[in-house]
Amino acid sequence: MSHDDKLIRDLEKKANVVRNNCFDIFGSTQMGHGGGTMSIIELITALYFHHMKFDPKNTDWPERDRLVLSKAHCCEAIYAALVELGVYPKSKLETYYCFGSPFQGHADRWCTPGIDYSGGSLGQGLSFAVGMALAEKLKMADKQANAPQTGFLQRYVVRFDPAYRSYCILGDGECHEGMVWEAAMFAAKYKLDNLIAIVDYNKFSLDGPTNEIMNLEPFIDKWKSFGWWVTEIDGHDMRQIVDALDLTNSLYGDYRPKCIIAHTVKGHGIPSWESDHIHLGRGEVIMKGIKEGREKYADI
Amino acid sequence: MPTYNKHVQIENKPSMAAVGVEKALIAAATKDNRIIAVLEDMGMPGLLWWKKTFPERMIECGIAEQNGAVVAAGLAAEGFIPILNNFLFANVGRAYNQIRQSILVDRFNVKLIGREGAWGETGISHNTVEGIGATRVLPNLVILNPSDAVEAEKAVTAMFQYVGPVLLRQESSPPSMRIFADDMPFDIGKAFSIRDGKDATIISMGYMLTESVKALDILEKDGLDVGLLDMCTLKPLDEEAIIRVAEKTGAIVTAENGSIIGGLGDGVAAVLAENLPTPMVRVGVDDEFSQSGKVTPQIDELKVHFGLRAEDIAFSVKECIAKREKLAKKRK
Repeated sequence: MSHDDKLIRDLEKKANVVRNNCFDIFGSTQMGHGGGTMSIIELITALYFHHMKFDPKNTDWPERDRLVLSKAHCCEAIYAALVELGVYPKSKLETYYCFGSPFQGHADRWCTPGIDYSGGSLGQGLSFAVGMALAEKLKMADKQANAPQTGFLQRYVVRFDPAYRSYCILGDGECHEGMVWEAAMFAAKYKLDNLIAIVDYNKFSLDGPTNEIMNLEPFIDKWKSFGWWVTEIDGHDMRQIVDALDLTNSLYGDYRPKCIIAHTVKGHGIPSWESDHIHLGRGEVIMKGIKEGREKYADI
Repeated sequence: MPTYNKHVQIENKPSMAAVGVEKALIAAATKDNRIIAVLEDMGMPGLLWWKKTFPERMIECGIAEQNGAVVAAGLAAEGFIPILNNFLFANVGRAYNQIRQSILVDRFNVKLIGREGAWGETGISHNTVEGIGATRVLPNLVILNPSDAVEAEKAVTAMFQYVGPVLLRQESSPPSMRIFADDMPFDIGKAFSIRDGKDATIISMGYMLTESVKALDILEKDGLDVGLLDMCTLKPLDEEAIIRVAEKTGAIVTAENGSIIGGLGDGVAAVLAENLPTPMVRVGVDDEFSQSGKVTPQIDELKVHFGLRAEDIAFSVKECIAKREKLAKKRK
């Protein structure tokens, strides 16, 4: 299970490249969801550059792992990763917010090949990921029912892996939506062990501290009581992220949906954004943060 | 008796849309195993058949319509054709934004069957009238509202042939009478002329076609030659057909079992206002919630209250013709 230090270091470097691409995006419009984007940089990097089955040359690959970004306002992080993966040229970063651009203000599956879910209206992504996970189960059940069952071995073949997994990144604030818990109940009922929810628990929403706005705690117990397997990690520690994701893979077959609660910091790595718990920044605020970030992550 | 289009077969006996929906749905699901029922604890057309034949193609969400709509979107993204059946206020009203954001934005192939209408015993919560107005503004959505069992069967078959989101509005009570012959042509987006007239044209859909046909009888006795156009597809509206009948008769009455605000009446009015301003009367519910109402062979309280009987339509046709005459005089 343990990964060598080189892989972790490489991923951390990649995270910095992704971060710098985000600065390009923010800089082009002097606007952006700086806080929530910075808090998922490491998660997105680990998923796209290490963990998920994803082919940059064939973004519609039927067996690719699905990634539903339920907090779709933080799509800048995915755009930055897609550019680094070569799905889009770097010049596209500047077209963010522009008419006809693949890089829309909120993630849009129709406009942007490589994006699995059009979000923006919060709380819906988990249900969508659940639908995709359920579709995988139904299709595999069909395949197994139709497979020729000739010999002993074929009949007792155990599947070690799903055709694909569904990943869903949720914000902590959107867990105030009742619909998230409808989806949680549903996922447990249909035993969707091919579904992994990752909560970006950065503790801040637009109006203030998430748990002051509406208390989510005991958060882990909530997910557990809904029938989920849950783990807690530091969402900025690459080794912990990679290990947790691997663990969800190895637990496949336990009939439980998985939830990774990633403790993060809103605006992570950018001192002025961290102290302001920035949500959507404009003008001065964004440019100051970009300057800080570019200095801090310059040597990569 | 007025003369009708050759594909019309009027019989004064009940012909429930629900029967046609169920028949076509079972036929479609038998042929295509991508069709999957997403239930919201509100049953399903052909529920017993599904339970017996296709239990693994029934996904039960419980009373959680918002989750149901988006799970359906996720299934559709992977190639399934989910059906969401419920009262319209629930599967569309309750999950309005979910349908907009997660189904329509990406044109996912989800089929919504929503029951609504101004009357019934169930009262203000279930007798909703705003469904068409609320959904006609949504891009990428096709809206169908069949009347009798024959048309409902054709509409559901067409709904599955069409790739993309469709809302089928189904009024279950009271039943329509039989209007269409088995060989009626049905195309999404094409209005069907039940009868061509000279003096005025009624444009209607769903249950109100039954009242409109009865209105034609009344009007004929009064010596008026009135046409009737079935507008089963509310979106996209068949603008050509609307303009054609308006050109021919110069007086248009719309009749719908729903709110005239945003409904069929508004749709037709907009087409005519832009292309061929024509005197109009809209028969329907005028900015009011419904409630419970008793239905007996002698009286249908809500139909009387909202003015949705054949007599009311006939009166409106005469009113519309008078409007046209008055306008003609003014213009002279």
